[in-house]
Amino acid sequence: MLPTDLLTHRLNGETIVPKRLAIDTKNLELAAELIACFQESIGNSQGELNERLQDFEGDSPDYRIKRGLAHLLKGLCEFEVISPLEPQVLRERVFKVAAQTVPSSFNSQQTLKNLALQLSHELQREVIAEEIRMGLYADLAENRILTSFDAPTPEELLHRYNLSQVQGIFYKASHLIINAHRNVPGQYKLLFRYLKLFQLMAYIEGDAEHGFTITIDGPTSLFSPSTRYGLAIAKLIPALLHVTKWSLSAALQLRDFYTNNWKTGRFNLDSECGLISHYPPGKTYDSMLEASFVDRWESLKTKWVLEREVDLIPIPGSVMIPDFRLVHPDGRIFLLEIVGYWRPEYLQKKFSQVRKANCDNLILAISERLNLEKVGVKLNDCPARIVWFKDKLQPKSVLAVLE
Amino acid sequence: MVRIPTLSFDRGTLILHPPPKGKAWVDYATWDDRVEKFRIKAIDYRQLVEALQNENINFIDEAKAFIALELVSSLAMEPYPHQTQALTAWKQAGRQGVVVLPTAAGKTYLAQLAIASTPRSTLIVVPTLDLMHQWYAQLLAAFPDAEVGLLGGGSRDKSPLLVATYDSAAIHAEALGNRYALLIFDECHHLPTDFNRAIAEYAIAPYRLGLTATPERSDGKHSDLNYLIGTEVYRQTAEELAGKALAKHEVVQIKVKLSQHERDRYNESIELRNAFLQQANIKLGNLKGWQLFVQASARSTAGRKAMLAHRTAKAIALGTDGKLRVLSNLLAQHYPERTLIFTADNATVYRISQEFLIPAITHQTPIKERHEILLRFREGEYRALVASHVLNEGVDVPAASVAIILSGTGSAREYIQRLGRVLRRGTDKDKLAVLYEVVAEDTSEEGTSVRRRGAGRGALAKRGEGEIQQLEILPSQTTYGVNHITRRAAESQDMYKVDIDNQEDR
Repeated sequence: MLPTDLLTHRLNGETIVPKRLAIDTKNLELAAELIACFQESIGNSQGELNERLQDFEGDSPDYRIKRGLAHLLKGLCEFEVISPLEPQVLRERVFKVAAQTVPSSFNSQQTLKNLALQLSHELQREVIAEEIRMGLYADLAENRILTSFDAPTPEELLHRYNLSQVQGIFYKASHLIINAHRNVPGQYKLLFRYLKLFQLMAYIEGDAEHGFTITIDGPTSLFSPSTRYGLAIAKLIPALLHVTKWSLSAALQLRDFYTNNWKTGRFNLDSECGLISHYPPGKTYDSMLEASFVDRWESLKTKWVLEREVDLIPIPGSVMIPDFRLVHPDGRIFLLEIVGYWRPEYLQKKFSQVRKANCDNLILAISERLNLEKVGVKLNDCPARIVWFKDKLQPKSVLAVLE
Repeated sequence: MVRIPTLSFDRGTLILHPPPKGKAWVDYATWDDRVEKFRIKAIDYRQLVEALQNENINFIDEAKAFIALELVSSLAMEPYPHQTQALTAWKQAGRQGVVVLPTAAGKTYLAQLAIASTPRSTLIVVPTLDLMHQWYAQLLAAFPDAEVGLLGGGSRDKSPLLVATYDSAAIHAEALGNRYALLIFDECHHLPTDFNRAIAEYAIAPYRLGLTATPERSDGKHSDLNYLIGTEVYRQTAEELAGKALAKHEVVQIKVKLSQHERDRYNESIELRNAFLQQANIKLGNLKGWQLFVQASARSTAGRKAMLAHRTAKAIALGTDGKLRVLSNLLAQHYPERTLIFTADNATVYRISQEFLIPAITHQTPIKERHEILLRFREGEYRALVASHVLNEGVDVPAASVAIILSGTGSAREYIQRLGRVLRRGTDKDKLAVLYEVVAEDTSEEGTSVRRRGAGRGALAKRGEGEIQQLEILPSQTTYGVNHITRRAAESQDMYKVDIDNQEDR
């Protein structure tokens, strides 16, 4: 992501239009040049890299684009401290000894030579005086050495830049409203996993036919809207890009330039925005169990259609995302959740979720290997229909519950 | 089964579930549809708990994670009357409120008294890394057995006594919120910003102390302190402080001539630059001219060359080898006296540190290492220190008898602050401190030095006419005439001796 001072956008009426670089020859060349600049700097210090970048920047009006691209590339770099000892330890040793004599260039040379001998002995390798002098401040940011650079392609870099500009708009967001439709559980699961990771909260309304409204903000948003969660919301956007069929509207808290009063702005985005996520996509199936169940269902002759695009079941403080949706031509719909082997805490949580969800068309397929009683789960007060299975889940036993 | 209401902490808020009987708590609670529970602002914790207790409602408090501390304090100093009065006033206000005391009135000591009398886990929030260091050192000294930690400036401790910067504390407000019973806000006028106020709002801390010399804010938000910390409980003016003496000192200015080689390179560079400026019709007398130069340097090769020449000349003028030679002499002359070396830029600090193997302090130095360095300096293990301008803004530095300033930035305020620091009274009452100012001759550095001593009216006027003969180190701020010497209450004119130019070194 980009720091605020590198964000560029213009206003089109009330709409905010973030800077977007076209994926064209000119920009691809620019990106390629910068990437090369980084690659050639491997083995050099960060200070030298910064100088090169500054030279590259010049004073052209598009310096902010170059600086923005370079900022993103720096995130893909690894800088290391190269010194005979931990610099802080080294400094203490050097200065202690040096303080015993009058500070002068000559005495410094002597001190460093003596220490080099000592260190050569301790480290079982030859250490020279100049190495110590260089290592003394090797931990300063500008002295760290670029040791590896995970180079993107020029195209990837431009996509990353465009996404970062959009993410930057959300720094000022107080909350986000996503309108989503029935979707593949893997996509949703990824979204909600990131939601949890960034400590955000969601409130979900709606149904499978008309779509779901997911309002995203944070714990204290209840009392007053603030941009406190803007950064977390911005980080969520790349995860959202892996979900299909959605549109969002964000409320922005902006300071009016003249009056310095707060005003509310809006920013809209949808799944057709053409932005490319750099977050890894979610898995299609959580387990082999699910994958093999899909295969077996397909060889079954039934009017029930097994769908991957599921409903969200809102529960207080969380959401349940079932694995499958079963639809009959006559309009009957069931949701199927496979409960395989999991840790006891997970099972307790899962069954408490199922009870809270109070969903009357949910089927739970539970492995017989699970010792639910030991975990303290009682199935008596569970509103869901239950199918037991041994090693693999047979479509027939699920059908039996449906009919 | 009737479950007992439980109060828990959730990322900067409180959740009370299941809802208790009674009415008083309802005033604080808001229904949260997202979790289907009642949520309460963390800052309302104390009022809520007191309301529940008043109605004799049984509840489990899982929210508070702060602890009682067993503090063996080694607070040896007898507090000043104003410190005792302020402490009493704060306690009577239920240990919530703001104390307004002028700079250097012992706010830190007052805070230590507050911590010792409250003994609970305490978070101290400070605006700068310098102050962070200072609090850290003083807390370590005051509570030798307690675990003191830092948050910010590269540290991420979780100790029951924690010193944090406003930035870091605000970033981690959700996580810190329930772990401290006492919050101390140093320079608390920094608190009421949109970002920083989360520190107070997301915290359940029942006890809060704000310290400041100037609570008033230009945006009028200081009234928010009443809500975030508590009302003003005590105020004392600066007159109380007058009469604290500084040690006597003399100022010695040493002018360093450039070596012939340096002089030639300097003149060459200046000529090259001036030729370009003349041809491009740019005058460097003011900020505008400087901007034109920067723009021109990015447009043409000639401009770029001129800019590089300018930088070369600037480097020769600022960090000449001659200055380091003088420094070397001075160090030899005063060894083993305690010596502080100041330079304006970090690069020179590190150059000196690596050349003479003298410990360095800049804003990049980790707080704990800096603490160690100053400790060793104070104890005499290190005899010299080289620092950039980090040692500004009322930060305690141990007494030193020699101070050497190399290439300062020419701000009068900075000069006074540095002086006062070096010459802060140590144990030796007869100490006569020496301040050396090492400037290069015949470059604009000289003008900077005059300005720095606050006597630069004439020199300023001259500089304005100087057109392009003189090298402008910085786009000059002095054109706006803002450099007055501001003396603090504790300072008086007659303590300064007149400058003695050191003729031998000319």
